[in-house]
Amino acid sequence: MNTLIKKKRTRELILIWFFLAPSLAIFALYRIIPLIWNGVLSFQFWDPFKPTEFAGLYHYEEMLIYDDVFWQSLWNTSVLMASAPIGIGLALIIALMVDTRIRGRGVYRTIVFLSYPVMTVAVGIIWQWLFNEKVGLINYVLMSLGIIDEGIPFLESFSLAFPSVIVASIWQVLGFYMIILLTGLQNIPQSLYEAAAIDGAGAWKRFIRITFPMLKPSIFLCFVVGIINSFTNFDLVYVMTQGGPSHVTELLITYIYRAAFTLSKFDYAAAMTVVNFLFFVTLAWLANRLFGGDAGAVDEGT
Amino acid sequence: MRSTITTTVAAVAFAVAAVLGTSPVQAEKKISFLAWNIPHFKAGAEKWMKQFKAKYPDVTIEWLDKKGSEWSTYYQTQVVAGTAPDIVDVQGGLWLEYASKGGLLDLTPYLKADQASYTSELYPEFLSSWVYEGKNYGVPFYISKTLLFYNQAMFKKAGLSGPPKTFDDLLAYAGKLSGGEKSGFMTLNFDWLYWSLMAMNGVEMFTPDLKKAAFNTPAAVAAVEKLAAATKSGAINKISWTGRWVKPNNAFAAGTIGMLQAHSPAFMWMKAKGPWMNKDTVGVAQMPGNWSTPNSHALLISKSTKYPKIAWEFAKMATSGGGAYDLGSSLNVLTGSKVANKKLMAYFEKNIPDAVSVMKTQTEHLDKLVGNWPVAKDAAVKEAFYPELQNALLGRKSAKEALDAAEKKVNRVLSRR
Repeated sequence: MNTLIKKKRTRELILIWFFLAPSLAIFALYRIIPLIWNGVLSFQFWDPFKPTEFAGLYHYEEMLIYDDVFWQSLWNTSVLMASAPIGIGLALIIALMVDTRIRGRGVYRTIVFLSYPVMTVAVGIIWQWLFNEKVGLINYVLMSLGIIDEGIPFLESFSLAFPSVIVASIWQVLGFYMIILLTGLQNIPQSLYEAAAIDGAGAWKRFIRITFPMLKPSIFLCFVVGIINSFTNFDLVYVMTQGGPSHVTELLITYIYRAAFTLSKFDYAAAMTVVNFLFFVTLAWLANRLFGGDAGAVDEGT
Repeated sequence: MRSTITTTVAAVAFAVAAVLGTSPVQAEKKISFLAWNIPHFKAGAEKWMKQFKAKYPDVTIEWLDKKGSEWSTYYQTQVVAGTAPDIVDVQGGLWLEYASKGGLLDLTPYLKADQASYTSELYPEFLSSWVYEGKNYGVPFYISKTLLFYNQAMFKKAGLSGPPKTFDDLLAYAGKLSGGEKSGFMTLNFDWLYWSLMAMNGVEMFTPDLKKAAFNTPAAVAAVEKLAAATKSGAINKISWTGRWVKPNNAFAAGTIGMLQAHSPAFMWMKAKGPWMNKDTVGVAQMPGNWSTPNSHALLISKSTKYPKIAWEFAKMATSGGGAYDLGSSLNVLTGSKVANKKLMAYFEKNIPDAVSVMKTQTEHLDKLVGNWPVAKDAAVKEAFYPELQNALLGRKSAKEALDAAEKKVNRVLSRR
């Protein structure tokens, strides 16, 4: 009997691995192998035209001690990431508003969500125009209202360029956050609110005690998307500012690209990618811990 | 029996080889050509290929075209894959990195061998733009250098009669031309296109041996201070220091910029956006001191090519005589060939009279070309220098502080591996 069960299990295992194999092969080919190779590359002097040489920690020394642009781009990436809660907060407010029974809520939801499917390059161009010093809509409105006398060069300013990019970034992802949070809100059983109402809980208490805890998985998802966004927001920065002026809007991802493909320093770019990866993994782990440490776990039920 | 089998096997092998065309004697030779964003030249390229095929029936040319922003990425990945395109069309100083690392074929012997029939036809000043450590790695494909465009209507309104003759004139004119949504001056800034502004103040980028930075001088500090002050006042539009191609050219085409420093291809691009632009409404001049930065394209040959001689023959065809004329008349540019340019100027006079004065500037004062230093780390130097210059020009640092920092960074780039 035991042998039969064992044989059945083995057959099942073979079948499972058989179905998993193509995905695993692709994952290994496009994720694991490049990741390992990138790590190896970061300890080498590598050039498309020359034989490879061992570099030891040369690139890491250059990056961590001498390259102030690396630190600037790391800081900017962190700031962009830290701006995610602002977007999530705004999206939550909008989601709560469109979750009520106001007239035309479907239209409002669509309008807010519309920003998300727009191509990032288009978003960059739109905001580049909105922020234009001479002909931008924002300056036009501010001047029309008498708030300013002359146009503000948002994207040419050292202090305003990066906040401007952040605004565009939040605007783009706001619709996505809203949909995720709205879905979360609609999945909260009404009975919980009814019970709380019977117990005399006010709106704020219901939000703190029911809505927020029940929304945690959705908020976590938004937060992870926000982190990913801050690490991959290449196109928006590239279109709006190309990392300038003087690297004030440079992100790690744009700087890595610049190092590899403008300066042909693939090895140095690989070293920065390793740091980028470690930073990202640490943040994802921290975010997971922050939200209870079981994000992504499958609830097998009772 | 054994000999029958051997004969049969040999016959079959020969037949298969003949059918598949794998016989080494008859194998077709393939040359790939990587162009830099000239998809509209497809018909011309096909004409070239047809002509070349007639002369070399066993050679096929594969035409590849990539946008400027994708070009370098594509080329380098192809090099890594071991399939580097044989002939490449490169802009600016990108080639220096490849040449210094041994990725390109030294064309000096070819140029010497074809001195009478080919090399003598080329402008030596442009040809020398592609020399690194005494070796010539490229031949001019099409040429361009910076010049000054000015808005005649804005000049008239400001009471200005002709282009500025000195650096201080330029800034004074810019001041007079600015106000409201209008700016007096703007420049393209990529690939050292702004360097004429430094050159007219006697600023040298490097020491003569190209081993150290030489730009941090009182003259440079004074020039940068003046540029920063003009930028702060609005006489120089800030986009000069942040935009690349679209924004500055669009702004001039919109009629709100008094003067624009750009290279000749910008004219046709702007004209398409600004229908008001013609030879009467847009003045054309050299920058003060006749300084200009070339932004030409060259054809280079990858060292890994299997057929260097054939690649060279194709490069020659594309850069001289009828081949160069086809290119110039299709892209509305001048080429590195004096012979082709004579015909091209006649073509422009007949077909695009508005562009004639622009084109004329492109082959004048070739002794005043700047910003084309043969430094292998050109891109890295640019990356080290320009952000600091931006800091000064946009008011984040004083000129002295910014140039001190830039000098330190550039020297570090030059001294590091």
